[in-house]
Formats: sequence, C-alpha cells, structure tokens
Amino acid sequence: MLDWLSDNRAIVAAIIILLLVGAFLWSIAYGIRQTRLREKDQVFGDPERTVGGWFWAICGVSVLLLAWFYFSWGVARAFFPQAANELCQVGKLHEAVSPVTSSLAIKSRYSKSKTLLVRNSKQLESLRARLPVEAFTVSDVSRVKIVMSNTQRLINMMATPDFVGAETMREIEEVNVGFAGITNALATAPEQWMASEKALAQPSWGTSEPEIPLLPISARGAKFDTLATEAAILSKKFLRIRNLSPPAKSLIDETKMMIAALKKSPSANDKDLKLVKARTTYMKAVDRIFKRIDDGKIFPASVMAGMQSSVQTMLYQLEEAKGGLSYVETLFFPGGDIIKSRTQCTEQGPGRWLPKPTDVIATFFALANPDLENGGGYKGTTLLWWKWLPVAHVVAILIPDGLVDLLPGSYGELDESGGFQPNYKDWMLSLAQGDVYMGAIPMLDGHIWDSLFRVLVAMFFGITLGVPLGIYMGVSRFCKSFFDPLIELYRPVPPLAWAPLILTIFGIQDDGKIFLLFMVAFAIMVISARTGATGAQLSKIRASHSLGASDQQILRYVILPNALPEIMTGVRISIGVCWGTLVAAEMLAGTTGVGFIENVARTVSDYELIWVTILIMGLLGLIFDLMMRWAIARYIPWRGKG
Amino acid sequence: MKKFTKSVLLASVAAAMMGGATIAKAADSVNVAFFLEWATPNQISKVEKAYDDAMGVKVNWTDFKTGTAMTEAMLAGDIDIAYSQGLSPFVTAIQQGHPLKMVGVAMEYPANNCYIKNGLGIDASNASELEGKTVAVPLNTMADFAFRSYMKHFNVDVSTMNIVDQEPADGAKSLADGNVDMACIFGGNSSKAAAEVGTAIMTDAQKVEAGIGSFDVVSVTEDFATKNPGLLRTFMEVTAEANASWTGDAAQLAIVAKDAGMSPADTKSQMDTFIFLSPEEQKAKYFGSEGVAVSAAESLGLMFKKPGAWNVDKKIAKVITGEYLD
Repeated sequence: MLDWLSDNRAIVAAIIILLLVGAFLWSIAYGIRQTRLREKDQVFGDPERTVGGWFWAICGVSVLLLAWFYFSWGVARAFFPQAANELCQVGKLHEAVSPVTSSLAIKSRYSKSKTLLVRNSKQLESLRARLPVEAFTVSDVSRVKIVMSNTQRLINMMATPDFVGAETMREIEEVNVGFAGITNALATAPEQWMASEKALAQPSWGTSEPEIPLLPISARGAKFDTLATEAAILSKKFLRIRNLSPPAKSLIDETKMMIAALKKSPSANDKDLKLVKARTTYMKAVDRIFKRIDDGKIFPASVMAGMQSSVQTMLYQLEEAKGGLSYVETLFFPGGDIIKSRTQCTEQGPGRWLPKPTDVIATFFALANPDLENGGGYKGTTLLWWKWLPVAHVVAILIPDGLVDLLPGSYGELDESGGFQPNYKDWMLSLAQGDVYMGAIPMLDGHIWDSLFRVLVAMFFGITLGVPLGIYMGVSRFCKSFFDPLIELYRPVPPLAWAPLILTIFGIQDDGKIFLLFMVAFAIMVISARTGATGAQLSKIRASHSLGASDQQILRYVILPNALPEIMTGVRISIGVCWGTLVAAEMLAGTTGVGFIENVARTVSDYELIWVTILIMGLLGLIFDLMMRWAIARYIPWRGKG
Repeated sequence: MKKFTKSVLLASVAAAMMGGATIAKAADSVNVAFFLEWATPNQISKVEKAYDDAMGVKVNWTDFKTGTAMTEAMLAGDIDIAYSQGLSPFVTAIQQGHPLKMVGVAMEYPANNCYIKNGLGIDASNASELEGKTVAVPLNTMADFAFRSYMKHFNVDVSTMNIVDQEPADGAKSLADGNVDMACIFGGNSSKAAAEVGTAIMTDAQKVEAGIGSFDVVSVTEDFATKNPGLLRTFMEVTAEANASWTGDAAQLAIVAKDAGMSPADTKSQMDTFIFLSPEEQKAKYFGSEGVAVSAAESLGLMFKKPGAWNVDKKIAKVITGEYLD
C-alpha cells in the first residue's frame, strides 16, 4: 500500500490538491454565510466574537498547503508529470550550445571576442607602462617592445575580417549551416521522434534518487534530446575553430621565438637577484598574455554576425517549439529552472530547498518505520516506538554505585584455578549498575520520545519550582528583592550562550540538555507567576481579609486563582520556547532527538529531512498548545472576566 | 511585415536573456571561495594579485566556515571556484545531484585525528577495547570519515559504540571532562586541546602506511567550467606556480600567515603537514584511470549514503576530471 502510494505520488498529490482547492472554496463560502448570519447581533471588540470559526482554520490551512504545493513545484508534478522531463531535454540543448553562446553576445552584453580584445589590449597597455628598463639590456628592451607590439598587432589582425582565412570561414559557415538545420528540425512536428523503451521504463519524476528521469519520455522531449546531441557536436566543432591566418601564424612563430630568446638571454645585471627576478616575472606576464592570444579565439564581429543570428534564431525557435511547455514553465515552476548538469537533471530553485509535501510525507514514513534493520528510523534509533525497559535500569538509577563501596567486606577475588566466585558485595554492585535481570516494562522509545521526555521533564521542574517562587515574589518583599537580581540577570541570556558551560558541568547525558531547557522554562514561569500574583485586585484581597481570611486562605483562594490565567499563558509560552531551544540543546552532544536529526541533516543539506523535523516540532508544539487551550477553557473559566 | 515581427521578437528574446543573465558579470570577475586558518602557498598569489594579472579579470576571494556553505554559495551562483573544499561536502553535493565538478587536488594532509583519553590504556595495539565506549564525532565530516576508516582498519565494530555528534570544540571539551572516551577532531585549536588530554590513535606515519589520508579538492560549478575553460586553466596554472615557488622562508610565511589569520608559527606547523602536488603528480595519482580521487569519493559516498543507490552509472567518476590541469 505504502509502496503503491509512493510510486504514484503524482496522482495522490493531484487528488490532495483538488481536495484542498475544494476545501478552500467551500470554507470561504461557508465562512461568508456564517459571518452574515451573526453580523447583526455582535459588537466589535467583544471577545465572544472570536469564538468558533473552525472553517476559517480550514481556509488558512488549505491556503498554506496550496502555497506549499505550488512553490515546491508539487502542482507542476501532479498535473504535468512529464514537464520536468521535457524541460530536462530543453536543458540538454541549452547545455549543448553553451560553449557557443558563451562566446557570442547572447546572455551577455559583449561577445567574448570583444571582451578578450578589450581586456588583453588594456593589459598590454599597463604592462608596457611598467616595463622595468633597468632589468633588461638596451637591445633587449627594444626586443621586448617589439614582442608587445607584435602581440597587439596579432590581436588587431584577428579582429580584422580581411585576415580571416578561407578555411576558417568555411568552418564557421559549416557550424552556421548546422545550427540552421537544427532550427528547421525544431520547427517540424515532433511525430517522427519517439521515446525509447528504456526511457519509458525509468522511474517517474521524484520517485528515485536522480529526481528527474534523464532520457526523454515524450516525442517532443525525444526531439529536443536528439537535437541536443547534434548541437553538442556542432559546439565541439566550433571550439576547434582557430582564427589563424597564414600571416598571423608567421607572426606567432616569430614572436614565440623572440620570447623564448628573451627568456634565456642575460639581463643587464645578473648579479642583482632582484633585477633577475623582476625580469623573469615580467617576461612571464608578457608570455602569458601572448599565450592567451595565440590560440586564435578572437574573431571579427562581422564574421561572427552570421553565427550570432543563427544561434539566436535557433534559441528563439526552441522557445517556439516548447509550445505549451513554456506556459507550464512560467506558471508552475516559479522561481527556478530545471538544470541539466554533467550526469543528471536537477531542480534548482524552490524545488530544491522546498521539498514537495508528498515527498516530505514519504520521508516521514520512511523515518517512522520502526524496522531498523531495513532502513527505518534514523542513525539506529526509531522515530517513535516502544521497547522493553529492564526494571534493573530504573533500580540502578536509584542506587548510587558509591553506596555499595561503603558496605562492609571487600569485593570477590579470582581464585586459584582462575575462576571468579562473586560474593554478596559483587552482587550488590551489579544491582547498583543495573546488571541483574528483574523483569522489564514496556516503555516509549525513539527520537520524538527522547525530545518529548527532555521537554516534559524540564517543564515539570520549571513549573514546580518556578510557580511557587514567582508567587512568593509577588507577595513577599524579601523574596522579591532577594531573587529579583538573580532571575533578571540570567533571563535575557540566550540559551546557546550557556551551552559550553553546561557541557562541562553536566556532561553529555540527558541532564545537561534538560537543565538547559529548564533554565528557559523556569525564568518564564517565575515572571508569569509573579505578574499573575501582583495582578490580583486589591479590593478582592481586602474584602477577603476583612471577612477574616488567614494569609494562607488569601493565597489559596484569592491570589492563586487570579494568577492562574497568567501562569497558564506562561506555560504555553515556555513550552514553545523549549521546543525552540531543543535544537541548540541537542547540538551539545547529539545522540538522539528531533533536534539531533536536524543538526545532522543540515550537514548534508538534506532538505526533506530538515522539513520533516521542522514539521514534527511545529506539530508537537501545536498539539501542546491546543491541549493547553482546552485546559484553560475547561479549568479556568473565569479567565478574562475578573 | 512578418520579418519585422520576427526581428522584434528576436530582440525581445535577447533582451529577456540579458535581463535574466547573471553570467554577464561572471565573465568580468571570478569569485573564489577559501577557508581562513587553512594556509596555502597560493595565498601569496592571492595577496599579490597574481591571479588577477594572469587571468585578466578581477578575482574576488570570499572566506567560508564550512564546505557545505561553499556548495550552497556555488549553487546560488555567487561562487565559481571553491579552493580547498573538503572531499566530504563535495561528495555530498554530488549525491544530491548538484552541478559541480572536481578539477584538482588542493592539498593532501594526514587524516583528522581521533584522540583516545589518556589513562584508558587503549592505543593502536588494543584498539578493539574501544567497543562499547563513547566517542564524540562531528557526523558527516572528514573527521567522521577518518573515524570510520580507523575503526575499519582496527576491525572495531562501530555499531557497538556510543557515538555522540559533537562539534570539534565541544568534543575536545567532553574528552577533557572524561564524558567521552575518544574524540575525533578537526581544526588547529581543538586538536591542540584534545592532544592535551588524549593521544592520537595513529601517528601520521602509521596513517600513511594504513592508507588513511585526506585531501581537499578544487571544485567548480559546471557552468563556469563549460563557459570559461580558459580562465579555469589559468587559475590552476597560477596555483601550480605558487605551489612550485613555495620555499617556506620567513618572508613567504609572513604573507600567508597574515592572510590566513594565524601566527607564523601555527602557519608553519600546519603547512608542514600539507603536501601540495604538482599538476603532473595530481594527474598521475588522482586523475588517472585508477585515480585515487574517484575511489576515495566512492568509498566516502558509500559511508554517508542515503538509502538508495546514488552512484548509478558511476556518477561520481563523471564529475572528477583532471583536464583543466594541462
């Protein structure tokens, strides 16, 4: 069942998207009707006005999910499952012509010839200006100058149409004709091309490791693919073209020899190492510019004009040939492209860093699979499952090992025959270390449970210690003034700043992580309890006092009930912040936990996994908040009515 | 009339392409990523603008904290060349299907050390006693790769160990506190701290003997490599020249130390462990038909792989090339 769903993600997503659109439209219609119904008998600002309205929640959630589907290109995959494959073929064509386009004025303002000519002439100019005359002999100086002017002459020669050889012209024309042929082929109907059987057997978009199937699965795609191969051959041909006419060649040979001679010939003052070095450095720079020119990659603009237009026409025809695909691309692939690289096609853009909702769910189920042997769980731990917890382990926590050392007698020793007979003290030690089998109880296990456990324990201590302290700070001058500086001093410090200290003090076990979370929860609970306690109306306190209430009774029946709404708000806030601090806490020493998964996933940029952890934490936080809201409404009905 | 409409369309297509072209600026400047506190001879060329002179374009250098961040910047189009990216972030990027290429080896260096806490009485001779112990490892890094290589070498079953994911600085601290029995570390300061309380499981010489080594790669975006092969070749050439003219004298060391942000003494001790290969040596050892680069990348990829076959059709071999070293 799961496998089937996983293989048919596109269909599943399409159904979900349609349902979401339906829910969105229905919720709006229903919401408007409800609003009209109540409009007349409600006053603006009345808190009762916000009660209910679950249909708007549906509306909000469906908008969120639809936006997610859209920007992760999930809509594109659901309704145009072939689009990515076809765009991949288009990408192949773009990749194939990229060596040619990069040397033309396509996708850039200047052609490469122009850039090279300007850049190298400028460099020659500056090189000429800083010729170290003292490093060369007089005759060498003039020879160097000749080399430079030769190089400049070579540049200009290459950029002059008159000097382009017939052979070069023929080669360029050949490439031009080739591109014209591709343009024509692009204009024809794609029927004559066909997807191969091998291509059709590929896993569909997003269901395998190479996300997008590489071989064309449609006639149109097959056409682009074939033409891309042809274009690649043309590009190779183009890269081999050299603009080296006979006069240019002889000039190159001549200059080459001069440079070689200059490199060898002695300098004006061989004793001065500095001058020798200046000379070699300078000659190296001259040689480098010359070498950049002598491969003949500068062409006159007029010669390249034909190619410029033939390639541009081809690209234009490519856009035409895409037909409906170009609309799909603009509308359903927002903010990015399908890029063909050396070995595969990949999504670059939101499709890469925002995984599709269905993929995230699939990753979640793979993670949630408790079968560790077969790729379930993460790094050897399940996501949320159960295990047998030996009772002995619980006992071991309760008995410190040191206590056994205090017992009378000594530990057993090896006997003569090399055997070991443990005495009662050894038994006690193994009991204290949890090595005795005492039965087992079922217990929750897994990353989520570990994180949840840490948060819950931290919250438990935060509430049981923070609330009483907060309330006493609200009613007692001593408590207020004594604890105030302490709490206010540590409260604003971000938890991450404590992390290195906590690692040293508590080590790598759970206690350190729990303490970090506790510190966060504690401060919030103290502040909220204190605010709640001081917020009790004076008239109520005076009234109960005059009715004869004792201090205890005032605390129990007046102040505490009045503080409860604030305390519950504090609990809600601190649970949220605890989940937020969890990633930092589990970074200290990661062994398990949702934050640990996220930390490791980040190092390999595994976006699906990162989103799974984000969603798990978000959903757990939401569930807690909903529970708290329910508890508040149920047990503190006087909230907001005091 | 039809011709006119067509030419207008052509012009608008060209204009649209120019508008969306980030490549336009790439031809005028090349952006290179590097690490601070990771000293290399070519930092002299960097300081003296030898790259700018040789390539004829402006070369911008940006320092990064991690190799993964380099990958991200390359994908975003902000970086063209990553000099000395770790092998592990590179392989991870290829596994994710990103369009990158390895074109050279920046340097070889001894594998990251795993320090065993002093006083445990465990060393290379009885390494199997590590089973059941607690180890701090920064997961999915070169240190993780080194750790797994050591354990494989000593035949220690990793699944029996309690592995804790810790940053090197935290790992060193946990080792000092005795919370972990072994810590695998990278980075100068953390290594120094760990060496205070622990002993490396293998010496550099033993590592070489066991064939456990590391190397940093020079990686580029495929886009840059196809469009500017000339610039890339010159970059590699200048780097090779810088490596060849490295003598390690005080003057050179001072320049590199300043640029790397370290003291000359630390720079020297770090660079003493690095081996910078000439293009010929690189081609012979790493990029030949039985090159080390491919096999190392494959075995590393296998260790960190996600479920599913990622190396279909020898994917990794296709993006490792020595052609730009000529």
